[in-house]
Amino acid sequence: MSANIEQYQGNLQYAVDIVLCVDATGSMFPVLDNVKASALQFHDRLNDVMAKKGKAISQLRLKVIAFRDFGDDASDAIQQTDFLHLPTQAKDFEQFVRGIDASGGGDIPESGLEALALAINSPWETGLDRRRHVIVMFTDAPAHPLGTVGTSASTYPKNIPSSIDDLFEQWGYARSQTSVMEQSAKRLVLFAPDQAPWSDPIAEEWDLTLHFASKAGEGLEEFEMDEIIETIANSL
Amino acid sequence: MKKGDVIGGYRITSEPTNANGGKCIWAFAEKDGGQYFIKRFLEPKRPRDDDTRDTPSLRIRRQLAAEFEQRHRTIMERLRPDARGGGNLVLATGFFHEGSTYYKVTERIDTSSLEKPQALEPRQKTVLLKTLGMSLKQLHDIGIVHGDLKPLNVLVQKRDGAAFHTAKLIDFDDSYVSGSPPAPDDIAGDSVYGAPEWRRYMQRDESVGPEHLTCAVDVFALGLMTHLYLTGELPHHDKRYGSPADAVNAGEQLDLDTRLSDAMLGLLRAMTARAPGSRPRITTFLKSLDDPKVCALQPRRPGTSRKPSARSTPSTGKPTDTAPRSRVKANLTSAGGRPGTGPSTSGTGRPGTTPSTSGTGRPGTTPSTSGAGRPAAAKDAPATGSPAHAPATGSPAESPAAAPSATPAPPPSEATSPPRSRVRINLGDRGRGRGPTGGSS
Repeated sequence: MSANIEQYQGNLQYAVDIVLCVDATGSMFPVLDNVKASALQFHDRLNDVMAKKGKAISQLRLKVIAFRDFGDDASDAIQQTDFLHLPTQAKDFEQFVRGIDASGGGDIPESGLEALALAINSPWETGLDRRRHVIVMFTDAPAHPLGTVGTSASTYPKNIPSSIDDLFEQWGYARSQTSVMEQSAKRLVLFAPDQAPWSDPIAEEWDLTLHFASKAGEGLEEFEMDEIIETIANSL
Repeated sequence: MKKGDVIGGYRITSEPTNANGGKCIWAFAEKDGGQYFIKRFLEPKRPRDDDTRDTPSLRIRRQLAAEFEQRHRTIMERLRPDARGGGNLVLATGFFHEGSTYYKVTERIDTSSLEKPQALEPRQKTVLLKTLGMSLKQLHDIGIVHGDLKPLNVLVQKRDGAAFHTAKLIDFDDSYVSGSPPAPDDIAGDSVYGAPEWRRYMQRDESVGPEHLTCAVDVFALGLMTHLYLTGELPHHDKRYGSPADAVNAGEQLDLDTRLSDAMLGLLRAMTARAPGSRPRITTFLKSLDDPKVCALQPRRPGTSRKPSARSTPSTGKPTDTAPRSRVKANLTSAGGRPGTGPSTSGTGRPGTTPSTSGTGRPGTTPSTSGAGRPAAAKDAPATGSPAHAPATGSPAESPAAAPSATPAPPPSEATSPPRSRVRINLGDRGRGRGPTGGSS
């Protein structure tokens, strides 16, 4: 995927950034291994699909945000990587992903919106000719409203919106003056339950959002990662 | 949107998919005994009618929604099914919003499984290409650029008892007025079939402005597709280049199959020229097909064999092996299938469905692959007997894409969410009544 120095420099250059937000609470135990395995195969599978389409990605970066619940244990409610270049930083990516364990969580809602806010505010690639910025959310639970749980913890993310309405404005829409993401590049893929805030307002009201309803312990199967790969490959 | 839902009176009969869908999710549907292809746009979202606030955000979004509706209405008005040759365009029969989401509906079309168009007799090939050219001519005659012409956006149909396969063009959602394309970041197109000026436009090459993106963009893609349909492969090019257009931009000539007739070689050479103005118009393309011999393949000429080691093997867009499938089935794009075609699983089928290939098939379509790779239809696809296919969904131009999302079915815990408008407003409906072959609608 990295640029081939023998390639003609005038070829169109595609950059793909992907942020995987992974619910790592106890209820995800039955499916977390599948999610992790899919994540680790992501690079090779995307390459394969792109090659079959006669296409290539010039730069691929992945970032992982594992989240639990600030209301349960703020110390490990968010764990994340920077954007990692694949394949060159594949070992760092693998080490982080393999280290995610399903534990904790406390009550049913989790801190998924904090993870989403961090993802939206990621340092997305702004160069190359065409970009695809994808956030993928894996969770089996609803989310605490932003700014209501664990906000006083030292580990609580700084500078994220304090309400879902404000987060919506950061996600943005065409001609938005407040969006922090590039409208033509972004996609949000939700593997989340048919519950607030995922189904409504996010999937209902936000642009460029695909929602695949999940249930606790189900629904995060291998083919869903294929869906993400197809979504990326088909959009380039 | 999910299987079993009723949206705007249409009951969803297949699992919605984003496969090859770009900015949409699509599925098959039925209503009053008719079979349809329904596409859910991922953008824009329409602000709720019951949200009466007057904020900058809402003003912008209301304006975006109004422009989106107007653009779709305009295209629907311009592309009339009763126009000469209009029967080869798969046009929208309905356009509406439900809640915050826009939907577009076309009739569902059964496609044939044409695995190897290159194996057809010259006369058959001529008819196939002529019907494709006629479809494109309908657009070009009114100054519209399809903008995303590729095999996945062409449905190949052969009616029972018919002697010939015909091509139907789908997915005008990325269309634009010749010379007035969307901005470089927003313009749609496929990296394999894109024209040289399209590539340079996206790269913000100062020598290419909006005025250079004309119907000639489609002619370039049609040249590649013609080569694919006649020979089974795209033209080859030096492997240093990422696409035919990149090679042409670098001043290289594409390596056309020397089995093609001299007339066809000349035509394709002109259609894939670097300068848009050097490419023939669609009428010239059609006229060139008057004699079926033009589409005949000859034994390879001595001394003209390709040098595979130095050339890339272009993707044919055909489904290749069995790639992993997805839960959604459909496909739309280039190498993949396109939404709107049948429930297939295209590149992404669901577990248990037929192995898709390439990840791109069109959902629901039968294994057709017309020259361009459409993946085999999924077994679980809606049973239509024949492969059905669906209209493309898609993408851009008309715009917005759809989002899969969420089925509206707010759970109890959504008590805090404001009530959503569930009113369906029809934004354009041609009504049914088209022939079973549809397509033209």
